[in-house]
Amino acid sequence: MPPPNTPDESLPDEEQANLAVFLPPDQPRRPDSILERRTTRTTEHQTAPSQRGPAILPLDYQVLDYVDTVDDTLLCPVCRTAFHSPIITTCGHTFCATCINRALEMQPTCPIDRKPINKTSDFHQPPLIIKEQLDRLKVKCPNVGCGHICSREHLEGHYEHRCEYTQVLCPSSWCEKRIARRYVSADSHCMHSEAPCQYCEENVAEIDLSHHYDYLCNGVTATCQQCEASIVQHRLEKHIEEDCPETEVDCQWFSIGCKVSDKRLIVFEHEKDCPYKIIGQLVKERAEDRKLIDGLMGRITVLETRAYERHERQARRAQRGSLWPPPSTTAGSQGDSVPGAETEEERYLRSSTSPEGYMLARFERLESRMEDLAKQLQDMDAYQSSFVLQQLYPINNQLVELGSKVGVLNMHTTWLMNMQRFQQRAVQTNGPGLANPGMSSAAENNAPPPAVDDYSGPHYDQYYRTFRRRNSDGRDMPPRL
Amino acid sequence: MSFATKRLGKELSKINNSLPPGIELVSADNFEEWFLDIRVLDNNPLYANQVYRLKFKFSAQYPIEPPEVVFVKLANRPIPIHPHIYSNGIICLDLLGQQGWSPVQNVESICMSLQSMLTGNNKDERPAGDEEFVRGNRLRPKDIDFYYHDNNV
Ligand SMILES: [Zn+2]
Ligand SMILES: [Zn+2]
Ligand SMILES: [Zn+2]
Ligand SMILES: [Zn+2]
Ligand SMILES: [Zn+2]
Ligand SMILES: [Zn+2]
Ligand SMILES: [Zn+2]
Repeated sequence: MPPPNTPDESLPDEEQANLAVFLPPDQPRRPDSILERRTTRTTEHQTAPSQRGPAILPLDYQVLDYVDTVDDTLLCPVCRTAFHSPIITTCGHTFCATCINRALEMQPTCPIDRKPINKTSDFHQPPLIIKEQLDRLKVKCPNVGCGHICSREHLEGHYEHRCEYTQVLCPSSWCEKRIARRYVSADSHCMHSEAPCQYCEENVAEIDLSHHYDYLCNGVTATCQQCEASIVQHRLEKHIEEDCPETEVDCQWFSIGCKVSDKRLIVFEHEKDCPYKIIGQLVKERAEDRKLIDGLMGRITVLETRAYERHERQARRAQRGSLWPPPSTTAGSQGDSVPGAETEEERYLRSSTSPEGYMLARFERLESRMEDLAKQLQDMDAYQSSFVLQQLYPINNQLVELGSKVGVLNMHTTWLMNMQRFQQRAVQTNGPGLANPGMSSAAENNAPPPAVDDYSGPHYDQYYRTFRRRNSDGRDMPPRL
Repeated sequence: MSFATKRLGKELSKINNSLPPGIELVSADNFEEWFLDIRVLDNNPLYANQVYRLKFKFSAQYPIEPPEVVFVKLANRPIPIHPHIYSNGIICLDLLGQQGWSPVQNVESICMSLQSMLTGNNKDERPAGDEEFVRGNRLRPKDIDFYYHDNNV
């Protein structure tokens, strides 16, 4: 009879501890490595002062949705998702750091080939190429409501700093709930407290009010005149404005030049392959870049003013026959000296020259870097504009070509229709061989049709010739379609 | 979301796309218990024309911990006869034990291992002490430490 096994040992959940041990001591620490970033980030979260948990929940890499199928070679054999903070073992197998650490809690061997693994000596950094491949994977932002797609290396920045849908702590210090960044109210009050809905008197938290109105509210309903959906009265206007499939709307690329305007449902279908989409997206991207650039420019200006003020102060001090030589790098010659009483601050600064000099030197370095950045941004801007133009040019050409093709098609169709009508007429009235293309064709046909009451052959021939002459490709035979 | 849920979600979407021949998903209504049917692909007279029902139970630690896998007896789903399968459906396979398990295994690979375990067998017998074991056993399958070293299958 087989003996029972020892009871399970539950796995400790501390990622932090796991991460701390897998960096081999002899390995030089690369500050730019994913590992490093990850470790610092975790530390930050752990040291967050609040009792209410970290300001932002750490990004869960195992639930990310990748735009394209991830190549099998980049999938962790344990969690089956693209590696996150991968490490490579001495036996040559790659795993996510967390995955291999969890697996090792269970058995101190490689999950693939069962070679013994020692956390301190058998964990190595994977080749950079793997990290680069992982960084480049296109991934969707995991926040519900956000459709942002970016390369994985930028996701964390987006998620932590920019995504409007990231759940942050409620601004009210006594509330322990979380709220999407975009819904945080301007006056930082808690939006989680419940109050009765003014239409149906159900208790609803302020944050859920919009959703409640749209989907749950049982207040007085009204019927939409356009689509006959039944909507809560006070949301009817919003429904017509934002949802109703029957409302007339413009294509979202209207401002760029698409003049399509129709019922929302039709426009929605159209937008999927609107010819202006590519341009529109470029313009949008450019606007985003512009915003970024503007923000950076603003910061540069602020820094520049501050730098200038510093310079002035420094120069004043230097001119006052100072007791110390100003650091050579920062010897600003500009500056109108303002002789006068020494301020409290300056007296203090005088007593601590070297840190001051050091700071100034650093500051100037930073400043020059900011200038470089500004220049780079300008370059990028220019590049972007030329890129847009480059993209536009072939599209324009294609449009012209398409236009002319449509013209030719149109002509072929008209010709065929006339031909058919003529044949029908010939069979009905004059027997084979004679016919009139008919009066009804006059509307669609640019070529003048023969007189209405004349059914004789020559006229048809003439008509036929006239029409044939209009063929821009000069073919004698009817074109084959 | 637990580690197991995330991983099982991935497996399920793959299973829904395709499974190797002879393996079929019966139900996977949650991330704790799945049922699959397997059959052998050759003409082994011991198992020909039979379908066997497998029950998978996953702990929250899956795939770090092995799932609990047993054959289930139903009207049209017998327990396959095999020197390592007890008549109550408990399977004695080192892959499924704490020692033999590896987190790189998955539901599909377990099914395939069981398929080949059946295919390779020609002994029409139960494990030694089957009756006694089935009568006396109150342990969950994963808590049983089988002696795998006498395996010759
Ligand atoms: Zn290995
Ligand atoms: Zn992993
Ligand atoms: Zn986002
Ligand atoms: Zn709150
Ligand atoms: Zn209501
Ligand atoms: Zn409507
Ligand atoms: Zn359009």
